[in-house]
Parts: sequence; structure tokens; C-alpha cells
Amino acid sequence: MKRNYLKTAMIFFACFGFLLATNALAAPKKIVIGHPACLSGKYAKAGEQAIGGVKACIDWVNNVYGGVQVAGKKLPLAYKYYDCESKKEAVTSLIARLITVNKVNVVFSAYSSGLTLRGAPVAESHGMLYMDHGGANNKIFRQGFKYIVQTIGPATNYHQGTLNMIQKVDPKAKKVALAYEDSEFAKMVMHGAEGHAKKLGFNVVFKRTYPKGVTDLTPLLSALKASKPDFIIGGGHFEDGQLFNRQMADLDIDVKALSLIAAATLPAFYKALTSMAEGVMGPSHWEYGVKYSVEEAKKVGLNWIGPDQDEFVALFKKALGKEIIPDYHAAEAGAQVLAYVLAVEKADSLDTRKVRAALGDLTFMSFYGGWDVDDTGLQVGHSMVDVQWQMGKRIIVWPKEAQTGDVAYPMPTFAEKARGKVALPR
Amino acid sequence: MKKEITKYYPLIPVFAAYLLLFLIGRNISGMWQLVAMLLFYCALGQAFNIFLGMTGYVDFGYVAFMGIGTYGMALAITKLAHIEGLGIGIIIIGFILALLMSTLLSVAVGAVALRLRGAYFAIATIGVNEGFRFLIEGARIWNGSEGLIFTAQLNEILGREAASSLMTYWADIMVLIIAALAAFVTLYYMRSKIGYALTALREDEDAAKVMGINVTKYKIIAFITSACFAGLVGATSWALKTPYVFPPEVFEIHYTIEAIIIVLLGGAGTLLGPVAGGLIYGISKYYLAIFMPGFQLLIFAPIIIIIIVLFPEGVVGMLKYRLKDSALARFII
Repeated sequence: MKRNYLKTAMIFFACFGFLLATNALAAPKKIVIGHPACLSGKYAKAGEQAIGGVKACIDWVNNVYGGVQVAGKKLPLAYKYYDCESKKEAVTSLIARLITVNKVNVVFSAYSSGLTLRGAPVAESHGMLYMDHGGANNKIFRQGFKYIVQTIGPATNYHQGTLNMIQKVDPKAKKVALAYEDSEFAKMVMHGAEGHAKKLGFNVVFKRTYPKGVTDLTPLLSALKASKPDFIIGGGHFEDGQLFNRQMADLDIDVKALSLIAAATLPAFYKALTSMAEGVMGPSHWEYGVKYSVEEAKKVGLNWIGPDQDEFVALFKKALGKEIIPDYHAAEAGAQVLAYVLAVEKADSLDTRKVRAALGDLTFMSFYGGWDVDDTGLQVGHSMVDVQWQMGKRIIVWPKEAQTGDVAYPMPTFAEKARGKVALPR
Repeated sequence: MKKEITKYYPLIPVFAAYLLLFLIGRNISGMWQLVAMLLFYCALGQAFNIFLGMTGYVDFGYVAFMGIGTYGMALAITKLAHIEGLGIGIIIIGFILALLMSTLLSVAVGAVALRLRGAYFAIATIGVNEGFRFLIEGARIWNGSEGLIFTAQLNEILGREAASSLMTYWADIMVLIIAALAAFVTLYYMRSKIGYALTALREDEDAAKVMGINVTKYKIIAFITSACFAGLVGATSWALKTPYVFPPEVFEIHYTIEAIIIVLLGGAGTLLGPVAGGLIYGISKYYLAIFMPGFQLLIFAPIIIIIIVLFPEGVVGMLKYRLKDSALARFII
């Protein structure tokens, strides 16, 4: 009797072991993207957009593209996300859960450089691919992380397109003034702009920062006026950008071009300043209206993948169930899905090392623009777009492959704007 | 001798809770980072309780001590990484710097703010926190608003593998040790003259003064002790676990609010309270974030209100009351 029990138990354990082994060896039925998203807290707005962007592109991959081709099979993408509340303590615990409990194949970082940095050591310790669509700080990629790859353009690139454009449209303009907010992000943008300006042969005649939450920029602008720049680049956030423009008008500081980060691309900027904002520019990772397409990709010798812009917008609205236009947070998160899909197909594997290596060799174009990373994972293939207010409308004026109109250069003086003159290309 | 030992009995449930957390983290796959988060909240509550719980003063600028401790460790790593042969010694120097800097800041703040009471004290401490942050940013001290990122230096000092295990495991073990040490110091204070003096001043500061207690001295002792532990928590949980410091993040008042909630949930002035508060707070937040992403704060706020209304003395305060005549009473204080 005892022997029978023993036999039964042995057979049972053998079957159980076999089942476990076959389960472990079984090919995956889907590819899961994990994301400690910022659904609440200070980055909630960017977080919601990112979720919409990821869902929209997953929808496209599964239903239009037909899934991800890997090891002779088409696998669908799935998406698992939690709310990290924009807090670093939650980011690490949720990434660990996504990797160990949900068994995701890739982790998308939370928004911001700080939260991206917080999650990187945990992802690295699990040998997990970690894709960054919200941390623009270049220093993240100098820390020696092996599995991190960036989709968002680095902060140092923000004003490079503006400088390239001005050099092209007005080679005589040589004097540039830099005036940025004193914050981690804006100062990184300023370092990049300064380096690029010098490389292009511009003369930096003024360089200064102003504190966060500033309420009066008159002293800084008066000093800036005395340096007689041809054009000004700077900014930090919406409030100080608006103040910058308004007080430039008060002090009659007329320059050929003004480009402000973060503020000038927002509709609220023109609403608050009306005619004073005419001709003012701002860089953005992506704007609704960009003209990236299969044809543009062919022209620059890149492969195209993903939905076109209108298809992406429709999928985004469907994903969130809201009638809102996606912003760049959505576009970069969506483009990251496409980059991952191409890399898995190129590697023909889900192995982190192979996919990371494939991402390093990957170049392509999508509705978001170009995509390419260097050896450290830093994004080098994506160009910022420059947006300019012309007749109360946001026109994408740079780069050529994305533009919806020519640049209005030089922009009207503040006296002309007060008389009703609008910015129009010549 | 027996009496000496029995007075430390209340540490048993505290240490048992930490041991249980450690075992869960070590043995259940995917739980370590959750345990790390819970340990952070427990350590934060335990450190904050030394001042709030024992004096009744609410320090809204408490996070400044965590921030300065983070800077202490960050400066040691960034400034000494190039010196060969120091190795792990840099981390020890970092802890010493964190302790020194948080002590100096607490002495400076305490000397002024502890002359105030109630709302005036609370407002003054908020001012110190914000003022200190703007000083670092405005005067461009320690790289100003750009902050410090030092994972690469940590790799250089310890090697990639060791640095990785420091960031994902050993830093959390250090937090556990700090939390346990804070509990021990709390009990030591409770059972000594310092604790009796602090209890007297918490109940009625003027009466305590009349009775001949040097209230300023004891308030400063509690304030500096609490600040030192905050500095150590910052140096480990923020600088070693996440090798970067951005001023807006390490001086974010939100962490002080979290510390207050943890202490009040568990029971201010109790030994086990911060552990109970940290666990309730951390576990609720974690599982609500998983099962109801985006809505957890809507659900969490009423939960906190209900707990505080039902147990105004905190969960451990209620337990203490219920168990006062039982054999368990000596373990729960």
C-alpha cells in the first residue's frame, strides 16, 4: 500500500516537473511592455499622454502591422503599467514588480530625468532593457548603464535646430544672447546651445541665468539689450517665458529672432500675449502638423515604420477615449514602441543583449521623426522641430522635412506688432 | 539585571517586523524593492518620531535634513572618487559628512526656530527648508540647480557589480539598520531622564519649565538626534540607492508631509507606531497603485481620514490602550 502511494507521488511529481519545464521552455505568446507611468503627481499630464502614445502604437502594431515577427512567429504586443505617482520610491518597487511578477520584456522609464535615473539601477540589475522617453539629461548616458536607450532628444539638442536655421537664413547674424532659467533642465539646454553656437561660428555676446519663479526680468533684459544681440534664445517654463516676452516688449528690445523653450510652443502663450507673440519661436520634440512621411524618409535614406500622423492621432484619441490632440510626450512614447518592435525583429530574439545591440544599429523614421542612438544609448537621430507663431497660428518652420511653412525672419519689431503687423515669411 | 533587559522588551516587535520584512524581501521573488520602499517609510517615520512624537513640535522643514544628508554622501563620492585606495572608505566618509552636515544644520535651525512654538515654529521650519534650497540653487553651491549625478563615480570606486548591488540591495540593508538604530535610540530616550523631560514638555512646556526642566536643552537633543537620522536616511535611501541629487527633489516638502502622516497613522510618541504607520502607508500606496492606477490617491485619502478618526492616538496608540492590562502590554509602547 505504502509503495503504491510512493509510486503515485513520484508519477505526480514527475508530471508536475515536466509541466513546469515545458512551461518554462515554451515560446512566449506575447511581448509585454512594462511601464511605471506617471498617472498622478507632478508629471500626471505628461504621463497620461505617454500612456496614450504607447497604447496607440501598440494598437497599430497589433492590428495594422500584424504583430512582431520573431523566431518565425508574429507575436502581439501587450502593455502593463502602474501609477508611480511621479515619485522615486514607487518607481523602483514597480519596476521590480514588472520584471519579476509580470515578466515584461522591456521597461519604459517614468517621465523626467530624475525618475529615469532612479529606475536605471534596478533595470540593470535584472539585465532588463530600459527605454527612456522622458529623461532628457545627457548625463544619464555617461553613467555606464548598459541597457538604457533614449528616444526623447537630449537636452543639449533643444536649440541646435534653431541655431542651424538662423545660420542658414541669415549668415550675417553672428551675435547671440543666451538667457535661461536656473534649473537642471534649462541649464543643460544652455550648455548645448552655447557649444553648438560656438561650433557654428556665432559670437555669444550675453549669457546669464535667472532664478526659478522670477517675477521681474527687467535687470537681466536691460543688460541683455546693452549687448545688442542679433537674436535671443533662452527660457525655462511657461510663466517665465511669458514674462520674458512681455518685458522685452516693455523695454523695446527688438531682435531678429526670439526662441523660448517650453513656453512658446503652447497655445496659452499666444492667448496670453496675443500680437506680442507674433514671430516668436520655440523648439519642440514633435508638434501636430509635422510632415514626416514615407516620402521624406526615402529622401533622407531612412526606413519608415508606423502610422502616419493622422492615423496616430486617431489611435491616440481612441486609446484615451478623449478628444485631445497628442503632444510630444505621446509621440516620443509611441515612437519608442516602434523602435522596440524594429529592434526585436532585427535581433530576431527577445534577449535583452541582442535587442540592445540591435537598437544600437537601428535607424528609421516614423511620424515622430528620425531615430538613431550612439554607443551609450543617447538619442542622436531625432531633430527637434522649431515652431513659430505666424498670424496667430503655430507654423513648423524647421527642419525642412517636417516644416509646414517658411520662417518669418526677421520677426516684426514690438512697435510694428503693436500697430498690428503680423509675422509672415518673405 | 533582569529589569535592565525587560526595559528593552518593546524592541522585540519592532525588530521582529524588520526581520519579517527582510525575510519576505529575500525569499519572495520581486518583493525586495517593495520591502526597500517600506523600510524607507519606516525609517523616515522612526527618525521623525524622535522629535515630533516626543516633543509634540511639528517640523515642516524636516526634509531639509534628509536633503543635506544626501548632499553629504554625494559630495564625498564626487570629490573623493579620484583618490585611489580609498574604496569603501569613501562611503564611510560620506556617512560622517552626512551626520556632520545634518548636525550643523539642525544646530543652526534649532538655535533660532526652537525659540518659537506652535504655528510659528512650523512656519519658520518651512522657511528654512525653502530658503536652504534656494541658497543652494541661487548661490550655485554644490553645482547649484544642475545637481550632482554620480553613478559613474560609484562604479569607479566600487566596480560595476559591487556598485549595482549597493544601489539595489546594500543601500536598503543600511536603511534597515538605520531604522533599527533609530528605534533603539527612541527607546533609550524614552527610558531615560531625557524621555521623562521630553514627555513633561510635550504635555505642558511652561509647567515643565517651572518644575526646573531645561526644556531648551532637551528639545535641542531631540531635534539634533532626529535630524541626524534624517541625514543618514537621505545618505542611504537617496544618495546611495539613487546616485543623483537635484535640489527640487531632495528638498520637496512632500516627504515631510509623508513623515507626519506615517507618525500620526501609527501613533505619535510610540515606539512601534512609525513601523505600523510606515507599513500601512507603504503597502496601501503600493497595492492601490497596482490595482487602481491613477485613482489610488482618491481612495487613499479617505482611508487615512478614517484611520485617524477611528484611532486618534494612532493604530499603536489604540493597541496600547486595548492591551494595557495584558501580558503583551510590556511589548507595545
